[in-house]
Amino acid sequence: MAKKEIWTGSDEYLCDRELAQAFHIARTLGMPLLIEGEPGTGKTELPLQYAKEQGLELFVYPTGSKSTVEQFVAKFDHVKYLRDSQIEILNAQRAEKGVQSALSTGGRNTESLADYVNKGPAALAYSTPNSVLLIDEIDKAPREFPNDLLYALSHRQFIMPESGEVITCSEEEMPAIVITSNREQELPTAFKGRCIYHYIHFPDADTMREIVAKHHPQIDNSIVDAALDIFYHLRRIGLERSPTTRELLNWLKYVRTFSSQEAIQKIEQLDGIGTLVKTQSDLEKIQKALFKDGEDFAKRSTSN
Amino acid sequence: MFASLPEHFRSYGVASDVRTLLLFQKAIQKGLIRTLGDIYTVLKSILVKDVSDLGPYTAAYYKYFLNIAIDHGESLHDAILRSETFRQWKTDNLDRFGDDKDLDALVDRFLEEVHTTTYDIKEVLDGKALWNKDNPELEDETLDIDAGDAERKALEQLADYSDLSLDELMERMQKVWEQQRGKHSGGSHWIGTGGISPYGHGGAAKDGIRVGGTGGGKMARRILSDRKFFPVDTDAILNDNNVDAALAALKGVQQETSEETLDIPQTIDKGIKRGGLFIPEMEFGTSKKLQVLLLIDNGGYSMDPYVKIVRTLFRKMQTRFAHDLETFYFHNTIYDKVYSDSQRRKSISIDSLLSKNPDYRVFIIGDASMASYELSRTSIASYKALTTHFKHCSWLNPEPMKYWHYTFTIQVIKELVPMYPLSPKGIEEAVRQMNRII
Repeated sequence: MAKKEIWTGSDEYLCDRELAQAFHIARTLGMPLLIEGEPGTGKTELPLQYAKEQGLELFVYPTGSKSTVEQFVAKFDHVKYLRDSQIEILNAQRAEKGVQSALSTGGRNTESLADYVNKGPAALAYSTPNSVLLIDEIDKAPREFPNDLLYALSHRQFIMPESGEVITCSEEEMPAIVITSNREQELPTAFKGRCIYHYIHFPDADTMREIVAKHHPQIDNSIVDAALDIFYHLRRIGLERSPTTRELLNWLKYVRTFSSQEAIQKIEQLDGIGTLVKTQSDLEKIQKALFKDGEDFAKRSTSN
Repeated sequence: MFASLPEHFRSYGVASDVRTLLLFQKAIQKGLIRTLGDIYTVLKSILVKDVSDLGPYTAAYYKYFLNIAIDHGESLHDAILRSETFRQWKTDNLDRFGDDKDLDALVDRFLEEVHTTTYDIKEVLDGKALWNKDNPELEDETLDIDAGDAERKALEQLADYSDLSLDELMERMQKVWEQQRGKHSGGSHWIGTGGISPYGHGGAAKDGIRVGGTGGGKMARRILSDRKFFPVDTDAILNDNNVDAALAALKGVQQETSEETLDIPQTIDKGIKRGGLFIPEMEFGTSKKLQVLLLIDNGGYSMDPYVKIVRTLFRKMQTRFAHDLETFYFHNTIYDKVYSDSQRRKSISIDSLLSKNPDYRVFIIGDASMASYELSRTSIASYKALTTHFKHCSWLNPEPMKYWHYTFTIQVIKELVPMYPLSPKGIEEAVRQMNRII
C-alpha cells in the first residue's frame, strides 16, 4: 500500500485538485484512470511525471490505428521458434557427421515455450509491482482493442500466448494505469465501466499562471499577464480550434528569448501567433476581431 | 444498503447498477469516504463516464443525498436557497455565523461544507472514539448541548474510520441518510453542526483545515450552469450544438479493424530466396478505405438552413479522416444528372456516378418534399439505379419524422431509399444499417 497516498504534482507538473483526487481513487480501488479533455491539457504528462517523481518504473503503450492486444500484452515469436527448431535439427545432423561445433540458439530452449514470448508493456507492468502503465490515445485504436482488454482489467491477469503462463498481480501491487483519450471515437460502455473516468477541465487563468510558473520559472510576471490576456481572449472568440496549454507554453518559450520589454511588445503584436493558431480561417477571424482598423496582420503573422 | 441508489441515478440518465454499489462499498472499505464531499467525488469517478454525464450526475447527487431538487434550468444557487435542507442547516448553525446574514455568502459556505473532502483536511484523528460518542438517533438540540468546546476542537479534524467494519459504516450511513430525507429532520443530519460526515453528527470535519484548492462547490455550480455538462438532444434536427454528436455518429461509417494475415505470396517468394527456409511473412490488414458520396439537395428555401450545417459536418469529418469525400448537388430530386458545384452549373450524369466503386457509402440529404409531378419516372429510375449499384445508401431528411406521412413524395422516396431523420440519432441509425450490409 506504499504508493497509494495522494499525489498532487511535482516541481514540473501541476496536478489539479480534482485530477489528483480521481487519480488517488483509481489507485486505491485498483482501477485504471481514463482521462479525457481538450488536447494539450497535460493528460499524458500525468503518469510520466508521477513515475518520474516517485521513482517508479514506467511502461508506455502508444496506441495507433494498427494496435492489437498482442503488441500490448505479449506476442509469441514464431519466427525465432521456427529458426531454433531448425537449428536443433541442424545440430543433430552435425553431431551425426561428427562436427564438434554446434549452432547457438542464444540460450533459448524450444522445449520451454515461455522463452519465445515477447512481453509487451502490459505484461511487463503487471509483473512489476507498483509500476506505472500509460496507454496513450486509446481512441486511436481499432474498436476491438479496448474490448479485448476487458478481462485483463477486471481480473487483473493476462494469459500469455502459447506458453499459457498467467501473469497476475494483487490489488495492492496493481500498476497505476492511466489511459488517455481525445474522444475521436466513443469507447465501448463496458470498457468505460471498468475505469475511473476523469474529464480535465480547461485551467482558469490562475491555474494557468501556476502552470506557466512550473514550466518557465524565470519568466517575468508582466509577460505572463500580457500573454494570458491574449490567450484567453483568443479562446473566447470561438475559434475553430482553440489554442491549448501546450501551445501557450510554446509561445512563451519563443517570446522568452527576448528582453521583457521587447517580449511584451511582441505579445501585443501577436508575434509568433503561428504557435497558437493553426488554421487560415482562424487567422482571418482573429484579424477581424482584434484588428478592426484593417491593420495588415495576416501578412505579419505569415512572415514569421 | 442504499438499494435505491442505482435506480435513482438511472432516472437522471446516469447509467448505474449493482456494480456501482459494490464499488461504493469497496471505496468505503478502503477509507476513501469520510465526508459528504468524498461521496460526491468517489461516486463521480465511478458513475460519470462522459463529460455530458456531469450535469445530470450532480443534480441526482443533490437530490439523493441532500434532498435538494434542482428544477430544469434552475441554478444550483436558487435550488439551495429554496430547499428545506438549507433552511434547516441555517437555523442549526446560526451561532456559527455571527452577524454574517448575507444569504449569498451563506450559500457559498453551505456549498463549501457539502463539498469538503478528505483531501481538503489535513489532520486525522481516531474515528472510533467520535463514533461511539455520536448517536444518529439524537435530536439536533441534544447534540448542540453536548458539543462542548473540547469536542468542537476535535471536530476540526478528520476522523479515521478504518478501524470500523464496513457493515457498521454502511448501516450508520444508511440510517443517517434516511433521517436526512425524513420529513421531520428536514436535513441537518449529514451536515449537522458543521460536521459533514455521512456517518452522522460526530462526523468528520468542522470547518476543515483547508490545504488549498478552489473547493468542489464552485465546480458543482459551474457544472450545473453550463450546457456542456449535459447531454445534447440527439433527437433534435442537426444544429450547431449537436453537430459534434452527429460527427461521432458518422464516424461509425468507418469500421476499423486491425488484424494480421499470413501473406502467402511473400512467404513463398522470400522462402525460395532463403533457399527453402520458409518463415511466415505476416501482413497487417489495412483498414478499408472509406469513400463517401454526398448528394445534397440545395434547391428551394426549405433546404437552405441545412445545407451549411451539413457541409460543416462532413467537412469536419474529412479533416479527421483522410479519405475520399465527394459532394454533389441536386434540386428537389435527382433526375439523370447531379451537379458538382453548389451553383449547379457543372453537371455530371448519373451514369458516371454509377461507374464508381459500389463500396461507396452514399448519403442523400434532402427534404424529399416536392410537387408530385416532379417525382417523375426518370427520377424514380435514378433512385432505383443508385440503390442497386451502391449497397450502402441512405437518405437523411431534415424534416421532422412526424410530418413524413403528410407528404406524398416522402412516402414514395422512403420506399426507394432507406430514410432517416437528419439528427444525431438518425445518422447513427443510418450508419448502423449501412454497416450491416456487407
